[in-house]
Amino acid sequence: MAWKDLVIERRSKETLNALLFFSLALLFVFQFALGPDRERLASALPGLLWLGFILSGVLGLGRAFLVERENDCWEALLLAPGDKSAIYLGKLAGSLVLMTVVETLVLGLFVVFFDVDLGRALPGLLLVIGLGTVGIAAVGTLFAAMTAQVRARELLFPVLLLPVLVPVLLGTVKATEALLLQEPLAAVAHWLKLLAAADVVYLAVGILTFDVILEG
Amino acid sequence: MTTLLGWLAALGLVAGLVMGFGVAPREVTQGNVQRIMYVHVPAVWVAYLAFAVGLVASIAYLARRRPGADRLAHAACEVGTVFLGLNIATGAIWGKPTWGTWWTWDARLTSVAVVFVMFLAYLLLRGAIEDRERGARYAAVLGIVAALNIPLVHFSVYWWRTLHQPPSLLKPGSSTMPPVILAALLVNFAALALLGAYFVARRARVLAVEEEALA
Amino acid sequence: MPDNWGFVAAAYALAAIVLGAYWRMLVRKERELNALRTGAGPGQTGTNGKTGVSNAKAGALRP
Repeated sequence: MAWKDLVIERRSKETLNALLFFSLALLFVFQFALGPDRERLASALPGLLWLGFILSGVLGLGRAFLVERENDCWEALLLAPGDKSAIYLGKLAGSLVLMTVVETLVLGLFVVFFDVDLGRALPGLLLVIGLGTVGIAAVGTLFAAMTAQVRARELLFPVLLLPVLVPVLLGTVKATEALLLQEPLAAVAHWLKLLAAADVVYLAVGILTFDVILEG
Repeated sequence: MTTLLGWLAALGLVAGLVMGFGVAPREVTQGNVQRIMYVHVPAVWVAYLAFAVGLVASIAYLARRRPGADRLAHAACEVGTVFLGLNIATGAIWGKPTWGTWWTWDARLTSVAVVFVMFLAYLLLRGAIEDRERGARYAAVLGIVAALNIPLVHFSVYWWRTLHQPPSLLKPGSSTMPPVILAALLVNFAALALLGAYFVARRARVLAVEEEALA
Repeated sequence: MPDNWGFVAAAYALAAIVLGAYWRMLVRKERELNALRTGAGPGQTGTNGKTGVSNAKAGALRP
């Protein structure tokens, strides 16, 4: 298990670097598209931030089972004894760590390059980011396993994932927008509840059905 | 049994048309273009009913692994997608003369569009997996996720569109409808539901024959 | 407001076309597949059958 984690870590570093460069590229694109118009940029910022998060997430999660696929370890996964949902949670945890690192760095870049004043919004923002990331990773890990053995996986994975994640995206963007306008946390309570509900549903389905996916 | 369903559906469609064009009155503000509603609204109700059937069938398949449940789930989700697409298209045709535009990102249209894309993806997944058994399992999981996601989509989109009054929005859009119009809606809903059920039955049958032919 | 019967007709016509086409597709596929089944039954190699079925499968996604 430790060896596996080490391999994953090494793979994650590759993925991490790639995702960071990708996010940087996005940042530049956003700046070129909206830079001169400060007001439009400011109003688009929550959406752009989460666009960056979700695109990085899709890239990163799409590779969640890459190690097993490339090294022909898929059968090993299928034959692993015990509760397969432990594998789900393990993969999920790994993805969460990866995504959190990327998101923290991207947020930092946004603050610096787009002159964002986080102010008192930070704790609420962290909560929103946390809830959103769990939702993205929960569905993403499940769908990544599903598409791992499918022919058109690079195409099918985002096609499956993005429509399902619309509620999460809407919730996080609107909550982020409100928080960046220095609104109190109570004002976004309904979004937080939605995100939490989504997380519960996605995690429950993931845990309950992951071994179905890994049957073959 | 299926044939009976088909004939009942045909009868229902006739009744629906009679209700929609003969019995229902000319609407005060919009005029007769409002009659599009009698096909537009029942279509989405039938679609969501179909997705609910798909949800139950998917769960049933995962529980007992009976191929019949898988075929039902597949058929229901496909028929639901067809009706939902019809809802979107008729909605656009209704919107053009009344709102002046084919499309707008209002709450209902947007959430229906998202659900539509979700189940299109379901059909794509079905098509992408050759192994029948694996396809059945994976599609069942996706069917469950997609169906459970529908209320989340609806709430998120609805709150997104109506910015500052969230708590009162648990029951979106309850308006008082004249009984005649409601009656026409319900008759048309029954008609389209019968048609949908007929389609699901036939689609499932095609899937069964297809399996035999492949074997 | 004008009645816009044209739009009403368009909507109902679209419904008829879509639902009708889907129904025709179902009827046609079932007929094809049954023919295949009974045709391939009396011991043929069934390579024709394979293409027929995969066409039918592709057809299913385009109602």
